[in-house]
Amino acid sequence: MSQSRVVAAVEIGTSKIAVLLGEIVGDSGLNIIGHCVGSSRGVKKGEITDLDKASDCVHAAILQAEENAQTRVDEVYLAQTGRHLIGNFNVGGSSISSSDGIVRRADIDAAKEDAKRRTLPRDRTYIHHIQNPFSLDGRPVDNPLSKEGRQLQVGYWSVHGDSESVSDSLRVIRGIDLDVSDMIISSIASGAVLLEESEKENGALVIDIGGGTTDYVLYRKGYIVKTGVVPVGGDHITNDLSIGLRVARKSAEEFKLKNGRAYYMSEDRDEKVWLIGDFTIGDRQYPLAAITRIVEARVFEIFDIIKEQLEVAELFDPSDIASGVVLTGGSARLTGIAEAAHRRFGLEARVSEGPQDVAEELRAPEYSTSLGLLHYALTGQEENQQQAPPTGLLRRLTGLFN
Amino acid sequence: MDTLTNNTDYEAGTAQGDLKIKIIGVGGAGTNAVAGLKLEHLGDVRLAAINTDAQALKQAPIVEKLVIGRSITRGLGAGGEVEIGRAAAESDRAAIANMIGDMDLIILVVGLGGGTGSAAACVVAEVAAKTDALVLAFATLPFSFEGARRKRIAEASIGELRQLVHGLIPLPNDVLLQEGDEDTSVLNAFAVADQWIGRGVNSLCAMLLKTGLINQDFGSLRSVFQDRGGKTIFGTGTATGGDYVKDALEELFICPLLHLGDRPAQLDRILVNVVCGADMGIAKVNDIMTQVSKRFGSREDIVFGAVIDESRSQSVELCILGKAEMDSFVAPEQEASAETAPKKTIITGLGLETEISQDTKTPRAVHRSKLTKKQLAEVDQDEFTFIDNDAQRGYFDKTDRNDYNDEDLDVPTFMRRGIKIRMK
Repeated sequence: MSQSRVVAAVEIGTSKIAVLLGEIVGDSGLNIIGHCVGSSRGVKKGEITDLDKASDCVHAAILQAEENAQTRVDEVYLAQTGRHLIGNFNVGGSSISSSDGIVRRADIDAAKEDAKRRTLPRDRTYIHHIQNPFSLDGRPVDNPLSKEGRQLQVGYWSVHGDSESVSDSLRVIRGIDLDVSDMIISSIASGAVLLEESEKENGALVIDIGGGTTDYVLYRKGYIVKTGVVPVGGDHITNDLSIGLRVARKSAEEFKLKNGRAYYMSEDRDEKVWLIGDFTIGDRQYPLAAITRIVEARVFEIFDIIKEQLEVAELFDPSDIASGVVLTGGSARLTGIAEAAHRRFGLEARVSEGPQDVAEELRAPEYSTSLGLLHYALTGQEENQQQAPPTGLLRRLTGLFN
Repeated sequence: MDTLTNNTDYEAGTAQGDLKIKIIGVGGAGTNAVAGLKLEHLGDVRLAAINTDAQALKQAPIVEKLVIGRSITRGLGAGGEVEIGRAAAESDRAAIANMIGDMDLIILVVGLGGGTGSAAACVVAEVAAKTDALVLAFATLPFSFEGARRKRIAEASIGELRQLVHGLIPLPNDVLLQEGDEDTSVLNAFAVADQWIGRGVNSLCAMLLKTGLINQDFGSLRSVFQDRGGKTIFGTGTATGGDYVKDALEELFICPLLHLGDRPAQLDRILVNVVCGADMGIAKVNDIMTQVSKRFGSREDIVFGAVIDESRSQSVELCILGKAEMDSFVAPEQEASAETAPKKTIITGLGLETEISQDTKTPRAVHRSKLTKKQLAEVDQDEFTFIDNDAQRGYFDKTDRNDYNDEDLDVPTFMRRGIKIRMK
């Protein structure tokens, strides 16, 4: 019993707070023992705009999850999103020091240190250093230890965030006297549980369209080569409809859910839809084409921005993204979203059905980020036990928030 | 202050004294808009135009014209350069002052984004501000697809103008495109803006100069715009035939300039003018007033005017001009407890029953904590930053700009792309 600890995976989203409680038993066992999705307030575009309101919502959700599970939380894994997150690819290198040209651990460490030594301005905080393949004299190698060569290089996809925004989210958790053990950006968390290893190997783009942000992660040859946040989500679709159709936000949201489609079809021109639809006095008809054109413009733009960012990074190579686009997040429920992604990226696209190894109620897109957090709570522990982490994914943030 | 008068024999011009109104178009777009104004039997409203481009000005069918900055541009226009536009206007301040003269009401019409309009309008407004005239400005904002540069120029200019005039009515072309006829293309979308300016100017002038069922004098217009700065919101609705009162109200309520996404704008001080044919009964006018005040629930003043246009029948045009103080945008949740001006039902001789405030000059809150003042200043600055998006950001109105490739992603994509959404 002393070996078990209760981890709360918390995602402070723009439209909802998702909390999963996982009991980690011993070395490798994980039981999901409680969950709660609460409404979110004080968060816009993935960033906390009102600390008090956000705190109240998060605290309520964690307490509810604790009550459901009849237990207390020991530590928290927290998801991060928002436009303040920026990623860079940094390459570091070392010359092999020994006379026989055999790579030793010290050479590997030196190359890693070199890649990560780029310092940030004081108002920025590193969240992840994600290791990419080594290359030895220009040849890619997975594990250079004991191999022969002269120059060792390693690349890292490093993600950093605005210190203020990051500490705001930590403050929310601290508010109920809990400690944050680690932070993981949402896209990486979702990607970890939604993709099979083979898909990561073949290359896949996971796009998590939430309420206020769209987070994406690109896997290539098994490695995370790029992540990104587009600060646009379902809220924007609703707002566009509200402005375009001149209806209240609530009605716009209903239109989006009921009649919204991610792409426009010429048949929409002749179709009318009712705002309320139950013969209420004052009900009005709206052209379906107006709705689908507004939604299409926004959805296509989100995909185009992601595609452009990948192209700029010279990472948009369809043959390296053979497993295609995998969509998740609340807005992935929008009708036709996969077809829209297929049209804009020219890749296979599907809406994720959620990880198959969890209970059905946890396969909903709301939980994929939190499940990913639990995944890291578990594997992070495994990695600590082995001296050489297989993928070396997560470095524990130290110092900054103690 | 008599906001309601029941004198139906009230004649244009006479009881108003000689109300002097001048409409000045500044820059190319402004001149075009003024030249295209069809002032409907309004008598003595003077039209004028100011431009750096002598050739363009020469062709405009306007009596009073002023070429500025001849010494700088040799009459060849500012070429989109704000610096040149400003220098041109500065060099001819005296001539501008001369043109402005001694007016009661000055309406500036300007298209922002170019060189002359964006810069010279500020100088003209500054000169006008030194006179006793009430200065209102209609300013069109460039389409997003015209590029980031024009947009930035327009933003800077509108921020400056807002401080100089009593009421600034921004007309974002992105929004107006949605309002054109079924087949409005971007090419003639510029004309759509001119039509809107035309409706606004006509309605304003008609209210001041025409015979009314309920006459508004210049004083009530002034009372709405007593302070400079703040947000001015403008909208119109018009309909002919059938149930035209209902249709016009409906059109007014969905007017995009009045709608800030989440909810219809709540206005602090609002002026409602009804232009209708002689066949419209007072009961219908009353109906309009009740519905408008319900919808735009103004805390303080609602000033109604209704004028008769003999040429109309079975038709009505509604026009709303409102002024919202910035504090109503600070914390709407706190507003409920804030002081509300006492409202009183006044029954006039015409049997109109409408809610208006007791005293249109009720001073704003006297006691204000330092904190509120600080908030006010901050908001002022915020507003400055995304000034051109007032009507376009909706739910995201109070958040940081969402810049990507010089576009604000919070503004609906269809607007930025000029995709026309057909509502019928």
